Amino acid sequence: MPEIIEKISFYLDFPFVQYAIIVGVLVSLCSSLLGVTLVLKRYSYIGDGLSHVAFGALAIASVLKLTNNMLLILPVTIAVAILLLCTGKNARIKGDAAVAMVSVGALAIGYLLMNIFSTSANISGDVCTTLFGSTSILTLKAEEVYLCIILSCIVIFCFVLFYNKIFTITFDENFARATGVNTTIFNLLIAVIVAIIIVLAMNLVGALLVSALVVFPALSAMRVFKSFFSVTVAAATISVICSLIGIVIAILAGTPVGSTIVAADIVVFGLFYLIGIARNGGN
Amino acid sequence: MSKYFKKTAIAFIAVLLFALNASAKDSGGNASKKIDIDLTRMSSTMVYAYVFKMVNEPTKFIGKRIRMKGVFSSYYDQETKKRFFGCVIADALACCSQGLAFEPAKKRKFPDEFPDEGTKIEITGDFEMAEDGDDAYPIIRNAKMSNE
Repeated sequence: MPEIIEKISFYLDFPFVQYAIIVGVLVSLCSSLLGVTLVLKRYSYIGDGLSHVAFGALAIASVLKLTNNMLLILPVTIAVAILLLCTGKNARIKGDAAVAMVSVGALAIGYLLMNIFSTSANISGDVCTTLFGSTSILTLKAEEVYLCIILSCIVIFCFVLFYNKIFTITFDENFARATGVNTTIFNLLIAVIVAIIIVLAMNLVGALLVSALVVFPALSAMRVFKSFFSVTVAAATISVICSLIGIVIAILAGTPVGSTIVAADIVVFGLFYLIGIARNGGN
Repeated sequence: MSKYFKKTAIAFIAVLLFALNASAKDSGGNASKKIDIDLTRMSSTMVYAYVFKMVNEPTKFIGKRIRMKGVFSSYYDQETKKRFFGCVIADALACCSQGLAFEPAKKRKFPDEFPDEGTKIEITGDFEMAEDGDDAYPIIRNAKMSNE
């Protein structure tokens, strides 16, 4: 045990490990906050769709050799998020079909562009890192960390400020509209926040595993807690702890960061599922 | 008596100074061979991230003595008619490889005095930037190589 602590303190001296922990905590906190709303609104799979859109945008940014690819990824992902979340009921292609179409379409186009207009000698490495996160969280630059901190603060601020409105829209949009809440504006806000979280979370776990950060903490919390507030707080706590555990295990054991975090989320979900069963007396 | 004492004292001080000087020189020699960055102590995820940093921000590491473990790789450049040697580290997912070129400390004949491609090696050397026309790339010079 002292050896492990010594190793952890040795690794914590490296700035890129400190960056990974800061970004990991912030991203997992933000994703879990909105995760509860997305799960309850039956949009659990939106994270997957949007992350694939972000992957496609990243491929275009690489082809265009943009120095700061966030300038393209963020607006494109936000635009698609608005398209999917705000036009849902009136669109000709609805709900899950639209998400599935955008998801696989963007993934295919992204991979195609990366292959045809390859700008790197290591395409498999680039694709692998973007899809699975691999070790990208450990290769962040200081500017990327600052951007993550700013965007995370915006997300948390918006969530806290509009908590009551988000709560009303999550459970009954018609009721919210009847009570004078501008649901269009708040759905737009949720779409923008979700897109920001997805783009940030891609660095942590990669495009294919983003949904896990959104869905698992919320579902775990829902097994044990019942009110919207307690579920949100529990989901945030679970998400942050799982991310920290995942990052530390990945660094110590040499496993991929993203999948280790998701594995930690799965274990916690299993535990909370059992606790939920025990609490309800087997029902 | 005092004459002998004086001579003995001078001799003693001279020996002491000589010994101190020698030991300072010796410790200076050892200090220059001190390992600044020992990648062999790190997990594969950390090594990948560290080498990524070294390749992308090489100026921060110039002059540092590095020890690393990886697999041996070589590449022959037809244009420059030069062979390059590398110590390659696969990341945890084994799809993204990251490596550093190295120059052996003493001249070796290729391929007889080099290990087979893919053999695990450990190298210890000085991190520097090698110039190749307008380009510069990181390299480990004066590298001592040992096979596992």
